[in-house]
Amino acid sequence: MTGAVPLVTGSVGSVGSVAPVSPVVAQVTAIEASLLAFVVFTALATAFARDVLAAVIVFGAYSLGMAALYTFYRAPDVALTEAAISAGVTTVLLLLTLAKTTRIDHETAFESVNLPAAGAAGFLFAGLLLTMGDIPAIGSPDAPVWSNPDVTQWYLTETYAQTHVENTVMAVLAAFRGFDTFGEAVVVFAGGIAALIVLHREVFA
Amino acid sequence: MSVVDATLVAGYTVGDFLLLAAAGFTVLAIGMLYRAVKGPTMQDRVLAVNVLGTNTVVILAILSAALSEPTFLDIALVYALLNFLMAIAISKFTVERGGVL
Amino acid sequence: MSDAVDDTDMTDTATNSGADAPTDAESDLPPHRAAARSGRLDSENRQGTPYTESQVIMPTVKVIAPFAFTFGLFITFHGSGSPGGGFQGGAIMAAVVFMIAFAFGIESTRDWLANTVVVALAVGGALAFAGIGLVPVALGGAFLQYDLLPIPILNPVKYGMEGVEVIGIAPIVAGVLMGLFFLLANGFSSDGGGFGNGSLDEDGSIDEGEPVDDDGSPEAGAADAGGDR
Repeated sequence: MTGAVPLVTGSVGSVGSVAPVSPVVAQVTAIEASLLAFVVFTALATAFARDVLAAVIVFGAYSLGMAALYTFYRAPDVALTEAAISAGVTTVLLLLTLAKTTRIDHETAFESVNLPAAGAAGFLFAGLLLTMGDIPAIGSPDAPVWSNPDVTQWYLTETYAQTHVENTVMAVLAAFRGFDTFGEAVVVFAGGIAALIVLHREVFA
Repeated sequence: MSVVDATLVAGYTVGDFLLLAAAGFTVLAIGMLYRAVKGPTMQDRVLAVNVLGTNTVVILAILSAALSEPTFLDIALVYALLNFLMAIAISKFTVERGGVL
Repeated sequence: MSDAVDDTDMTDTATNSGADAPTDAESDLPPHRAAARSGRLDSENRQGTPYTESQVIMPTVKVIAPFAFTFGLFITFHGSGSPGGGFQGGAIMAAVVFMIAFAFGIESTRDWLANTVVVALAVGGALAFAGIGLVPVALGGAFLQYDLLPIPILNPVKYGMEGVEVIGIAPIVAGVLMGLFFLLANGFSSDGGGFGNGSLDEDGSIDEGEPVDDDGSPEAGAADAGGDR
């Protein structure tokens, strides 16, 4: 088994090495463009679907695209989380919630667009787009990850020596910032308690 | 070194063609999205989401091969197992309008 | 057109489940579980039309569930060597429970997966994580200082992290997700349950009057809320 150290260290490096060699890999590759188009289409369909059940189903499809995108960007831990949470959990919980409410039979398939709201949202979106210029390209050597190697490369090189764990992501999560992960776990726990309170229950099952 | 890095035609490696194939599958998924959004009946949507899930499993497997990262197959496996859950959840929801839910 | 049929089924479900609640409350079950005890076995009563469990889904789930659960365990235990970890593995294991619940009925799943198990998973995971973190503190180190863990032979740093992932995070996530699933399957509490039942609930209309009043049909209030849209 190669383990996850080459998986992490080789990730950005392989992008940089492949890009100039292969003619297919331009600024945006075909797989990137199609996956991004898929994600954008599903996101828009989720936002505009009039039927709630259709929105839930299309949202499941959105997570499929996001997981493939994360996989392409060599973030397997994130992709795995996206797969497990959204395919396995979110859709099911949303469907259960729908089963407890009523669903209106709509004539039209899509929401009508409220122009002032769309204008406000578009304004915010344009403002966010302005910051895109400052974000380094994927795999760019100018990215802070690479321009600041004393900090970031230290984790990739020293993780195995210090923790004897091959997956750097897990080492960072559980060891280097373990206290933060403890807080996250407690937040998940508190989320369950909060759901009990909101639904006026004393017991889960 | 590996098969994926072997040059096939005109500087394109096998990995490039695999990525191109994955892009083709993604375009097919966009086509299937029409049925998931439009689908007049819920059965259409169930089938559409099932096909989308299977499509994603194929895309993830191709990506795993193209990037020569065998561990990425775990994600494809998770989707293969959980897409079934999504399909039976939606179909059970459709059959009894949440009566069994 | 199918939606119209669905909506009539919905109202049947609401009224019948409300009617079932008192009979179930008289059985030997604890009162807080009364409103939801109208599950797979008496789903014919609720639906009016006989419903048999799907002959496709049940055997398929029987085949798939062990593999999916094993894969969740693999993701959890092998998180140090491949993508994954406690969070993802716990979510997959909870999803297996969802799968079983969909195939065999949520109420029958609720029967074998008691509330104690769900709560023990969540609370035990949180306590185990805190315990692993506090053992080095007791030994004079910092919180989660793995190298002080008293683990013989094995590397304490690696297996401390594994312990956090396997007996800490994964049970919390699995327990909380299963709990959310059963909670949402129950819906809003309508039988006077909720926190501080008993004496407080008898005269609980002081502060909890609104949710308690629509007794019997949890869907009634939800339907009103949904009709506003």
